[in-house]
Amino acid sequence: MKVLTANNLKNGEVVFWKGGQWVIRFHDGERFAGDEDAAPALAVAEGQPTVVVAPYLIDVEEIDGHWTPIAFRERLRALGPTNHPQHGKQADGDADVEALRSATFVARSAGRVKLIKR
Amino acid sequence: MYRYDEFDRQMLEDRTSEFRLQTTRRLAGEITEEQFKPLRLMNGLYLQMHAYMLRIAIPYGTLRSEQLRRLAHVARTYDKGYGHFTTRTNLQLHWIKLRDAPDAIESLAEVGLHAIQTSGNCIRNVTADPYAGATADEIDDPRVWAEAIRQWSTVHPEFSYLPRKFKIAVTAAEKDRAAIRAYDIGLHLRRTRDGELTFEVMVGGGQGRTPYLAKTVREHLPAHRLLSYLNAILRVYNRESRRDNIHKQRIKILVNTLGVEEFTRRVEAEYAVTDGADIDLPDTELAAIRSRFHVHAFDARPAKSAAFEAAKAADPEFARFTRHNVHPHKAPGHAIVDVSLKVPGETPGDATSEQMELVADLADRYSKGEARIHYTQNLVLPHVKLDDVPAVYAELAKAGLATANIDLITDIIACPGLDYCTLANARAIPVAQSIARRFADMDRAELIGELPIRISGCINACGHHHLGAIGILGVDKKGEEYYQLSLGGSGDEKAALAQILGPAMPPGQIPDAIDAMVETYLTIREDGERFLDTVRRAGLQPFKEAVYVEAR
Repeated sequence: MKVLTANNLKNGEVVFWKGGQWVIRFHDGERFAGDEDAAPALAVAEGQPTVVVAPYLIDVEEIDGHWTPIAFRERLRALGPTNHPQHGKQADGDADVEALRSATFVARSAGRVKLIKR
Repeated sequence: MYRYDEFDRQMLEDRTSEFRLQTTRRLAGEITEEQFKPLRLMNGLYLQMHAYMLRIAIPYGTLRSEQLRRLAHVARTYDKGYGHFTTRTNLQLHWIKLRDAPDAIESLAEVGLHAIQTSGNCIRNVTADPYAGATADEIDDPRVWAEAIRQWSTVHPEFSYLPRKFKIAVTAAEKDRAAIRAYDIGLHLRRTRDGELTFEVMVGGGQGRTPYLAKTVREHLPAHRLLSYLNAILRVYNRESRRDNIHKQRIKILVNTLGVEEFTRRVEAEYAVTDGADIDLPDTELAAIRSRFHVHAFDARPAKSAAFEAAKAADPEFARFTRHNVHPHKAPGHAIVDVSLKVPGETPGDATSEQMELVADLADRYSKGEARIHYTQNLVLPHVKLDDVPAVYAELAKAGLATANIDLITDIIACPGLDYCTLANARAIPVAQSIARRFADMDRAELIGELPIRISGCINACGHHHLGAIGILGVDKKGEEYYQLSLGGSGDEKAALAQILGPAMPPGQIPDAIDAMVETYLTIREDGERFLDTVRRAGLQPFKEAVYVEAR
């Protein structure tokens, strides 16, 4: 599955696409079946240069009932820096955040889906 | 202490209002991100993982207390109340909002601070010996020359679009505390037997994916010709460097492709036709710069302080602090005090706004209103009376700033890594934290002695991993964070590049691997040897065996 992400122009915050809006929590983001499915949303996002910077699609998977980005980099974007757990989206500390934190499969780039899974 | 003159102030005002206008136009959609990106980068504003990052220049790592206080204020008002000091002696704020950035920059400009030339292919913030003007082993204040370079290079029209970024470091002491051979140009000021000030000019150093130490192109350049010689170097570089491959556009590649002799010949040819009168600072101007640094009349004091000695005898922790964080000052009865930003388990180089304010207050009360940034991501109070060191220590200790670990195994350099930086392949901070926790026992750290560990989260080497007695490079191995160890690097006057030890390993194995190397060192070290000396004498093999047996 795919999720559409970008950074908010005004404050730089990581945002996710949800039915024509941008939301700040990964788990609130809309999931698309694939690139083709997400293409119209991506096109709209690319036409919003005063709202977001550099929108792109990321790969996500469902693990034990929780959705999480495949790429470690994207999990960090969805959480915040690991040295300051009180900073960024992870500050909520709810079950969704825990699921992102405990996801152990790793792949940095989007093309490496399921490369390593522990 | 140096203060900007009316021209500097006017320039900063102009740049601030220009940037405000650019930002307004970007937010209104009048310019695209493609058009805006180079403009914001020229003002030190990056877009990173979680927010914008503002990289604030701290020229030659010297701050007046009011400037440090202003950094604290900007971090508190526009960020999350902390900042990250870097190996280029800059301060990075990692949670800046674009809409606030012009206000932050305006606030900085009020005290002569800015973020100009902290990004882009220009001459970056010039670094210098953090003990400048305080240490007895220098023959001149290198900041006078660093400031001359700053004035010359700031918004220099010819050198604003170089093939790549360009970094200069200056020292005037035999002990190199500025890693001068790791930069595009390293300058070492000396005095000849006839009393003339001359620079040894070294060119083509740099870390990154192709590390080199800078090579000497001029052994004795008359100091007053510095700018015209730099001009000649920059011209040759600007004209002759490749521009077709970003990985081959630093001056180190040009120097090593041409060979240092041919590169030197071209520089000398350019220098020969350079009109020095047009470029070099007149003696009067140099004297004016010098006079602005000269504010310190140090009280005549006895070399020994009874209060200092009594405190040492009474408090073993203070005694430990004096062994590692207190260094000789040129004026009798004074000391240079290092303020460690390396509490084991915390983020190397991070300081909260409150900590910055405390150091600013201590600078006012005890250090002639001055603080320094050391490239090892620590702070320095350069001019403290020995009598006052116990009081300074007590105040620092209350704020978690008195860790007695300068140059020890827990005084680790780490770049922000993948926790913040979009270029990174792996995190650096958690690795530093895990090592520092392992060696948090101060007695053991002291037994191990000097052991600089340097960690970078990618090949760009902001964390100086090529210069670590132990260097650690984060790599992406089939999508996982892995770390490559190297040994034997050094950024001092006997600079050397670290050699790769063996295959990379996952982060969980790093503390054990370091421990195994430390135990090997403690077993085989000879009298007086530091870790680095043992590596140089014994080679990599004993450490390789220890790591790849133990870590298996």
